[in-house]
Amino acid sequence: MKCAEVRKFVQLYLDSELGTKESFEVEQHLESCAECAGLFEAEKKFDERLGRFVRHGEMTRSLWEKIEAQIAPSGSRRIKAFWPLAVAASLVLATGIVFFTKSRNLDLANAVEECHSAYVHQITTPEFRGAVPEKIAQQFGDRLDTGAFAYRPSEPAFTSNGARLCHVEGVPVALILGHCAETPVSMIVLKKSELDHFPQTKRKLESGDPIACSRSGRFQFAARVVDDHVVCVVGDEPRAALEDLLRTVRRADG
Amino acid sequence: MSNQEQHSGAGRFLGLLQPIESDLENYARRMVFDRRDFEDALQNAVLRAFRAFDRYHDDASFRAWMFKILTNEIFAINRKRGRVAQFEVAVDPEEIEEFADLEFASEALISWETLADALDEELVAALQSLSQSERAVLLMRAIGDLRYREISECLGIPLGSVMGNLSRARQKMRDAILRARKRSWL
Repeated sequence: MKCAEVRKFVQLYLDSELGTKESFEVEQHLESCAECAGLFEAEKKFDERLGRFVRHGEMTRSLWEKIEAQIAPSGSRRIKAFWPLAVAASLVLATGIVFFTKSRNLDLANAVEECHSAYVHQITTPEFRGAVPEKIAQQFGDRLDTGAFAYRPSEPAFTSNGARLCHVEGVPVALILGHCAETPVSMIVLKKSELDHFPQTKRKLESGDPIACSRSGRFQFAARVVDDHVVCVVGDEPRAALEDLLRTVRRADG
Repeated sequence: MSNQEQHSGAGRFLGLLQPIESDLENYARRMVFDRRDFEDALQNAVLRAFRAFDRYHDDASFRAWMFKILTNEIFAINRKRGRVAQFEVAVDPEEIEEFADLEFASEALISWETLADALDEELVAALQSLSQSERAVLLMRAIGDLRYREISECLGIPLGSVMGNLSRARQKMRDAILRARKRSWL
């Protein structure tokens, strides 16, 4: 394909509406033509910016509760009468919802949800503040370094309450527990080399997206590579706010 | 329908609905001509969908089905507000060739971070300036994440019209960003 032909397909390509053959030909061309690759990248950024703009907005929880109540108004009485069936159905439904939701999320986002949820429910608390204690550093092996605990957002709205060592899918991570205003926000830092354990996130971050976003259960999740680490933020905050927070993350001891 | 069947239908319906509530709300907010209407549009559409849920088939996309019902509700409400849907502007399916000739060249290489608030203002104005059909197609794609074929079925318009509307909508939004960038240089 020549440049003019490839550029005709830019939107169809970005919307994944091209056939396999045409997609392959476009990809081949982009690998060898820096100018077209730049234009496609600009168009992709435009789409992402537009997407963030149109998706931005708080959910009106009270409205949805009102609507849902009209759909299942007297559930409690029926659940008493059919409680064994209702419990079984709920379990199946809940499993289905969790599977449906999780299958749409990034693997790393799913993996860190439990960490953040435990923090929100005060099951997980900070182990230390300031320098990493020697006895904790000894547990890292070569899979984590004290530098992972040194990342902080320069955004003044973020306050750290302390940190702890945590394991996510067997991967050691630095868990920095903080707040943005009154909202708990967790910062999770792992070595970039550990991304092999989270192939979806790795692909996303290596595809040119500086920030990988996803839901993480009922929270929002955003991750980006900083130096030789992957820094993630998780919280019950709008996605755009988490992305802004993540952009300000720097290594404090650097 | 027995009480038990109705209850289990409600659970299944809510299970499918809850993951897309946020997208439906964002779509409704940006589609209604009068901001006060979005709650009515959502409530009417969801209840209408629930009443028709026994006609929903598992092999169809629930997301696309809900967007279709919500869009019909919004168009009806917007018509009451005195604005008429503009789908009578048919687009030739051959438009795929024309719409792809985008004018982006070097103008599209934008430093997004430098635009910030000016950009949001321009985007709001640009979105409001779109025709109802352009806006519906753009938002179904950007918020609903629907495929072109699904959008075509939702709106009952040819695939070429979906592409044409989407192309024009994106061009207008792109122009808005360029205007914001030029202003930020002044």
